[in-house]
Amino acid sequence: MVISNKISESMKSSSWIRAMFEEGEKLKKQYGQDQIFDFTLGNPIAEPPDELKRELIKIVSSDIKGKHRYMTNSGYEDVREEIAAFHRELSGLAFTKNNIIMTVGSAGGINVILKALLDPGDEVIVPCPFFVEFMFYIENHGGVMKLVDTKDDFHLDIEKIKGAITEKTKAIIVNSPNNPTGVVYNEEELKELAALLNMRKKKGQRIFVISDEAYRKIIYDNIRFPDLFPLYEDTITITSHSKDLALPGERIGYITVSPLMKNADKLIDAAIFANRILGFINAPAIMQRLVGKFQKNSVDIADYQKKRDVIYDILVDAGFEVVKPEGAFYIFPKSPIKDDIKFVRNLQKHHVLGVPGIGFGKPGYFRIAYCVEMDIIERSRPFFKEVLGRTKH
Amino acid sequence: MIVSSKMRRLIRNQEGWTRKMFEEGMQMKKTLGDDKVYDFSLGNPDVEPPQALKSALIDMLMQTTPGMHKYMENSGYQSVREGIAEYLKTHYGLPFTSKHIFMSVGCAGGINILFKSMLNKGDEIIVPNPFFWEFKNYIENFGGIMKLVDTKEDFQLDIEKIEGAINDKTKAILINSPNNPTGAVYSEESLKELAKLLYRKREEGKEIYIVADEAYKKIIYDDAVLPNIFEIYDLVVSITSHSKDLALPGERIGYIAISPNIKEIDLLVSGLIISIRALGFVNAPALFQRAAGMFQENSVDVLEYKKKRDILYNTLIESGFECVKPGGAFYLFPKSPIKDELAFVKRVQREERILVVPGRGFGRSGYFRIAYCVTMEKIMNALDGFRRIGKRYY
Repeated sequence: MVISNKISESMKSSSWIRAMFEEGEKLKKQYGQDQIFDFTLGNPIAEPPDELKRELIKIVSSDIKGKHRYMTNSGYEDVREEIAAFHRELSGLAFTKNNIIMTVGSAGGINVILKALLDPGDEVIVPCPFFVEFMFYIENHGGVMKLVDTKDDFHLDIEKIKGAITEKTKAIIVNSPNNPTGVVYNEEELKELAALLNMRKKKGQRIFVISDEAYRKIIYDNIRFPDLFPLYEDTITITSHSKDLALPGERIGYITVSPLMKNADKLIDAAIFANRILGFINAPAIMQRLVGKFQKNSVDIADYQKKRDVIYDILVDAGFEVVKPEGAFYIFPKSPIKDDIKFVRNLQKHHVLGVPGIGFGKPGYFRIAYCVEMDIIERSRPFFKEVLGRTKH
Repeated sequence: MIVSSKMRRLIRNQEGWTRKMFEEGMQMKKTLGDDKVYDFSLGNPDVEPPQALKSALIDMLMQTTPGMHKYMENSGYQSVREGIAEYLKTHYGLPFTSKHIFMSVGCAGGINILFKSMLNKGDEIIVPNPFFWEFKNYIENFGGIMKLVDTKEDFQLDIEKIEGAINDKTKAILINSPNNPTGAVYSEESLKELAKLLYRKREEGKEIYIVADEAYKKIIYDDAVLPNIFEIYDLVVSITSHSKDLALPGERIGYIAISPNIKEIDLLVSGLIISIRALGFVNAPALFQRAAGMFQENSVDVLEYKKKRDILYNTLIESGFECVKPGGAFYLFPKSPIKDELAFVKRVQREERILVVPGRGFGRSGYFRIAYCVTMEKIMNALDGFRRIGKRYY
């Protein structure tokens, strides 16, 4: 067989997602694109900010020599310095360009860090529900994923995390604002997490927090995003510009390693090396230059908040049980019946496409990605109502 | 320990002296000035992309097509893949379609997702030696084992040795022609012999793939033509980079081309889709996919490289060095005048401020690599240095 056994297994386990995707495509062809309410994908319709577009043209037109050449594997020094300055401002800690490694999106960044950290058999704790790709990322490098359920409101369950820690635990991946729930972890629970990990540290075990902050800037109701660096010293954050600057196809992001971390330089060197040998080599050159200047910008968050309000209202109004998200562009309602795959198929019959919770390790729920046109959200209202009515009777 | 022991081992194994040399070189440039140091150590070409490509990029950005920076299919834009398939169809005479093309994050990204898709733990990949050192990492990333096989004196494939290295675990042979570090272009004859060998193994029930790293395929001299590997053998997957031919190394753009003769194509593509996601590439950068699609026929100025090769090659030979004349790429791989090439390289650095890479960095001690993808001026200014070195040893 041309492909490896492991990949063949991965393909089998994801084949039903594909089947569902294909059914959706069929429906679109049959009824027309605008008659199908597709909430399956986190591929936002938002466009990059106008000033970013202008800057990109400026960079491409410029006569800077060698602007498409290789640079150091960690990325351009001046760009990393710009990003370090942004982090200094956020937390007051002494970030320098050496704390920053430019990466091929956050997916690339997480792979690089895990490759640097993990020995075969090392365990990585992931709060559940979770972005299913984390499992791939961990297993790529011989790690073992340990899922830990969150509470009913999808916040961290510190007791359960404590119960899941073993001598093999090397890291915990947190993703806030969260995909698929939209929950934002508060400072209090993160402090509790830090206290727990610091207890292990006293016993001689270092557990790293890897914080996937791809949705960090998409946050509502004026809540403040708690910066992890002042809370826990063995922190690594992963930033993506796929969502905040709407550049997912360009694959640009970065790793930030805490300036408070002991022996951080060793980890940073290993990550730069991993960036090379995994075949990334460096983050795309032009996009690096571009994003350095836009650390404080983002797409229109108020627009996402309006969409959140409408979809939340639709779901509550229809009678769904749902936690109100505080960030990202996902909402994760409870399925009215236990079998979430069956329920999502019912939704499909009403022309609404969502993803069953089992795709995020949490059966009995489903995910709605509302990074679509407002019109689609508004017009979906009667269908949610109808499907719930029918499912209950 | 902060870094995994596996990683520490990897770093220890290869970053010792290469890194040290690199850093010493950087230090030299800082203290003596860029123009006093002749750096032939890096394959980072000192050329700019074609002017037309720049204009095309600007045009694309001015049009601001909605969604032009969004995710697309993991395999890349359908239209770009169709264009590349069309180009390959014309050049290789095989029925390539968009499904045979998979856009990747450069050649390095392409090889990694391919090996991730193909390799079971313990599978072996044969690599002709000398070789591009990163291949070892790319293979070992996925539990594969690299089996080095020496090439002949002229750096051409040694088919008998390859045959001797094949066993039940052999999954593929990874060839890189034009070659880094030797510049050798594998002859049609040797590739046909290789194919014959692999077909014979097929009869014995062994399916072995040829993975062809064609990063330098456009940089080829003296009207030589790169043999059509897709015609010579059926189970071929090639990987192309636009780092060299379009001078876009920093943008990370390339593609995988799967032979239309591979029957398990759908399975392989599904595997690549999982792998590009799992490894975190997700897709090749959007903007440069479109750009690369438009410039398949283009190339950088090969004549310019040929001039550089000729001047350096002639000077080396006149100065007494032993060196195989390269047919492509932008590397020369002469024999070191003394057995310990590391000592030689250090001396050359110290006495002539010429930076080259010792052959052991490519699995072949006793040689050194010159990367001549630098300005003509740099080369001219370094010639006397090479002559003086020759006088000292020959």
